[in-house]
Amino acid sequence: MNIVVAMKQIPDLQQIRISNRRPVLQDVPLTFGGIDKSALEAAVVLKESLGEVKVWVLSAGSEELEDTVKEALAAGGDEAYLVIDQSLAGADSSIIAQVLAAGIKQLNDVDLILFGEGSGDNYSGQVGARVARLLELPLVSYARDIKIDGDTAQVVRVLEDCEEVLEVKLPAVITVLSDIGEPRIPSVTQILKAGKKPKQTAELDDLGISAGQSNPVITLSNLAPESNRKRIVVKNPVELVEKLKSENLIGG
Amino acid sequence: MGTITVPIILEKLKEGYDQLEKFDVIVVGGGLAGLAAAYTLAQHDLEVLVLERGDYCGAKNLTGGRLYINPIRNLFPDLWQKAPLERPIVREGVMIMAAEGSLAINYTGADLASEPYQSYSVLRAKFDRWFAREVERQGAAIVTKTRVSDVIIQDGQVCGVRADGEELRADVVIACDGVLSLIAEKAGLRKPGNAKDYAVGVKEVIELEAGLIEERFGLEGNEGAACLFMGAVTKGIFGGGFLYTNQNSLSLGIVVGISDLIASESAVSIPALLEEFKQRPEIARLIKDGTSVEYGAHVIPEGGAAALTRLYGPGILVAGDAAGFAMNIGITVRGMEYAMASGYYAAQAVLKAREKNDYSVQALSSYEALLKESFVMKDFLNFKNAPLALSNPRLYSHYPELINDIMADLYSVPAGQKERLYPTIRKYLNWREMLAMAGDMRKVMKL
Amino acid sequence: MAGNAGDGRRYEKGDETVTDTLGLKAKLGLNVFKPGEYRHINVKPGMEKDPRLKRAVLVCPAGLYSVTQDDKVELTIDGCLECGTCRIACGTDVLDWDYPPGGTGIQYRFG
Repeated sequence: MNIVVAMKQIPDLQQIRISNRRPVLQDVPLTFGGIDKSALEAAVVLKESLGEVKVWVLSAGSEELEDTVKEALAAGGDEAYLVIDQSLAGADSSIIAQVLAAGIKQLNDVDLILFGEGSGDNYSGQVGARVARLLELPLVSYARDIKIDGDTAQVVRVLEDCEEVLEVKLPAVITVLSDIGEPRIPSVTQILKAGKKPKQTAELDDLGISAGQSNPVITLSNLAPESNRKRIVVKNPVELVEKLKSENLIGG
Repeated sequence: MGTITVPIILEKLKEGYDQLEKFDVIVVGGGLAGLAAAYTLAQHDLEVLVLERGDYCGAKNLTGGRLYINPIRNLFPDLWQKAPLERPIVREGVMIMAAEGSLAINYTGADLASEPYQSYSVLRAKFDRWFAREVERQGAAIVTKTRVSDVIIQDGQVCGVRADGEELRADVVIACDGVLSLIAEKAGLRKPGNAKDYAVGVKEVIELEAGLIEERFGLEGNEGAACLFMGAVTKGIFGGGFLYTNQNSLSLGIVVGISDLIASESAVSIPALLEEFKQRPEIARLIKDGTSVEYGAHVIPEGGAAALTRLYGPGILVAGDAAGFAMNIGITVRGMEYAMASGYYAAQAVLKAREKNDYSVQALSSYEALLKESFVMKDFLNFKNAPLALSNPRLYSHYPELINDIMADLYSVPAGQKERLYPTIRKYLNWREMLAMAGDMRKVMKL
Repeated sequence: MAGNAGDGRRYEKGDETVTDTLGLKAKLGLNVFKPGEYRHINVKPGMEKDPRLKRAVLVCPAGLYSVTQDDKVELTIDGCLECGTCRIACGTDVLDWDYPPGGTGIQYRFG
């Protein structure tokens, strides 16, 4: 059985600082999205319970990906398939979905494709569904638990007010919640062995996708709203109360 | 299908680390000492594993901010061309601060202002991360986010480490785990440090536009400046302030001796010292419109030669801050080049021991011999009296006030008649003062 | 004792009382901290009132030690810079001191 886990390379969010209302991404270490790591964990748990499973790590992005992917191979991925092109770093969901779908077609006998329900940075939550559509596969979203029985997956799907238990015939695409599994922390030996695991890399040309395809959506501005703080300094609580009253922020 | 570009380390992993049972060398700590050791060992094709507890090399490291290249240029000849150094230091400054004034001395000269530059300001998170890449390129394996908790000792010989519950074995371990070196402690090479041998440094990195930096410090292009401060900046406690210009930021901080801080009657806290330092008019105008982007602190070994720990034991070597290789001689405070050099010589000692496959104490003692032949131990022995000479409290309160009083008087033009210059000075330097000064001078002359 | 460092600390400067432009907590807030699962520094049981421990109140650059009303020294670990000053100043008789687990704690972006 082949499980593909699609993972997105993103900047380590905790390392990003804001300067002039814009995030500073320079020198920020790269990692995979948190929910993507949970998706990988789910795949590895399935592998541990089923045996005979190969876990593919699929990703598309800049060339740093070859380094970033070691993290996923250390955490239980068996082999990586990477589509590498500088233009993919900030690419739109629709383009990434095309690239990933094309990548999956290169892999043989894929039974299950896992996505995090949203990426750690943009959180558009679209790529899994788009890939399912492109590959004409059934999609189950918001999965908290997956059990495999033969060529069927039983999935617990979490909705706002209830949980659904669904059955889906494989091959299928499933997007998962972070609740599906706490990503394991690989040991030093696993990290070192990850360097030896096989990796395939492809360029956009190999997949018949033209590089530099422009994003259909252009971001004009994504600045945080400006806040005008009054910067009033108070010396004690009494003064604070006075000020708040005078600003009509608390009742007299 | 594209070709897979396999970093050298991966090729080596394919060849050599199949069993992953044992490395030639495990380096604990991916700071400058550890990376220098690993770099040198990997160049000689040894299988080296560096274990670093930070998210990346440099994540746990803090420096005041200056690396002197000259003593180590030839130990790593290929390293400097592309190194992400901040600015070459072409202007040196000392400021003697009294409570109400200050005397500044600036030095600049052709030797400082031309290539090869003798020193550069650095930011460690950037520099060490880059250096780690270079080390990997040489073929060493670096595993980050991993804390080493203990050494494995078998038949009295260190033969590996425990990290996150795993046992990792090697012929020899190099402890480069920083100033506290819990690893050297676990290996029985040292005891927890004594406060008198250590200082604590606190520092803010203040982001400031490059143009403003150049304007305020009188610099051309990428040139940089360094300034040390003494006197009121530490309220009379042993220590001083520092300021280095980086590309787009300033490193501003204070270093104070820990035992002096504990004993101080003024009971000032370190954060308050730094804040008052920032508010001094001499500093405030330099950092104006800057934005603080990081606040850090670190202990610094300052005990000199007398406080160096044992440098080696069976199957283990100690390098960098872990061994105590940092030195304060008043006008320069140095550590990073000693770290890199000691890492280099630790690697050389391992290479030598490897020839006979003997990692006993005797075999590893060549480390100390190599250090003694190098600038490292020569400096430490040369300046062995520095800690004593600099521990004189009069240097941090009495003299700064005295000098500033004299300056204030010399430069003042009163409404009435101005006194002659020599009597003005002599007014401050009575016989008692001169005698005390001569005594202090004798100590300083040992520097 | 000038140890109660916190946001907007006050201290005497000449005749006027100056409030920090950027309090200590705000300064620590500039840093990247990755949460750990446990406290890597602990006061040894029974040592809470030891005079050696009081030194930490003064020397901790992050102002994490404070004295409670019943004269015990308390340690908040959040914001720890792992600088080692408290271990050097107070000693290992009163403090159980270790670095936090790999990949947690302070992660300097500049250093």
